[in-house]
Amino acid sequence: MDRLKEQFQKEEWSPYAAGVLLGIVGILAVWLSDSLLGASGAFENLAGAIGQTVAPQLFDNLYFNYVMRPEITWSGVLLIGIFFGGMVGALSSRTWKLRLNSDEQWKQVFGPSWPKRWLFAFLGAIVLEIGAGIAGGCTSGLAISGGMLLAPAAFIFIGAMFASGIATAWLVYGRRF
Amino acid sequence: MTNYILALILGLFFGLSLQKAGLTKYHKIVNVFRFTDMAVLKFMMTALIVSMTGLYILKWMGVITFPGVPATYIAGNVIGGLIFGVGMAFSGYCPGTCVAGAGEGKLDYLVPGLLGFTTGAAIYGLIYPQVFPKISAIANFGSAIMPELWNVSAALVIAFFTLFSLLLFYLIDRNQMQRQDKLAINNERLTVNG
Repeated sequence: MDRLKEQFQKEEWSPYAAGVLLGIVGILAVWLSDSLLGASGAFENLAGAIGQTVAPQLFDNLYFNYVMRPEITWSGVLLIGIFFGGMVGALSSRTWKLRLNSDEQWKQVFGPSWPKRWLFAFLGAIVLEIGAGIAGGCTSGLAISGGMLLAPAAFIFIGAMFASGIATAWLVYGRRF
Repeated sequence: MTNYILALILGLFFGLSLQKAGLTKYHKIVNVFRFTDMAVLKFMMTALIVSMTGLYILKWMGVITFPGVPATYIAGNVIGGLIFGVGMAFSGYCPGTCVAGAGEGKLDYLVPGLLGFTTGAAIYGLIYPQVFPKISAIANFGSAIMPELWNVSAALVIAFFTLFSLLLFYLIDRNQMQRQDKLAINNERLTVNG
């Protein structure tokens, strides 16, 4: 039991062990909730809710009225769980900490400035959410959830994601690639 | 209500697995694209092997039916994936890992991440009527799954994917594709010399 606790408290698990856990969660989501894991969709519900409050006429369109309605969905609640899951994980290894710029590699390559990191992160987040919209889901909603049902879309998406990820990293990192 | 409680609990373990796999770290995500740390790939493929095996066994036992299978429309899946990869390499996260990282107290995940996703979602929703019908009309197979689309046994597809993954894991470890990062090597030099 102590050994198990010790393993649990490690900052990083073997990717295989963590992968098995995610796989089981994916199965249980279908079995118990008849739902697929996904993260990008809830942001579309949220954007619709904010948009229809701030600029009702602009956001009164097909997408926000019918496709992704402004409401609290199963995946919206899932997202809240993910937040606390990350918190529990960090607390268990005593690595929970408020940080403006969280990554050493980033600081070494791009400098210690946190506004620069925030700008890159903000623009990156916009781009990938638009990509997720066009593709029909993100890493969890399409790659994992579609892949486990053997949907071709998932494997096409994973291939495209890696291709452009590698190209982008190569451009951004240059000689440090 | 029960379903929402389930969502919360499943989300908790989902977030925990992402956090413990190290996916809430910028360098972990970026370095898989640089071939210096393949943990993300190992994590994803292991999760897929476990879940596809489990789900198809449950389906054969008649315990479950599949919920809405993500649609295959090749042009959209490719273009969306290409755009997604750019954002992922820039930010070092995807929507799920960003939320888990925010829970860790990482403000560069919490603030620009969640603001960016919401902004991106608003932009996509506004351009949706012009963009989506055109893109999704190209090579659209609907909610297709490979066994039905190609008339092959699901067990065969799963066995193939599993063998392919195991071979990949073996090659990654054998060829030291998990080579030490140049930065880490530089750091070591600094520590040794300094």
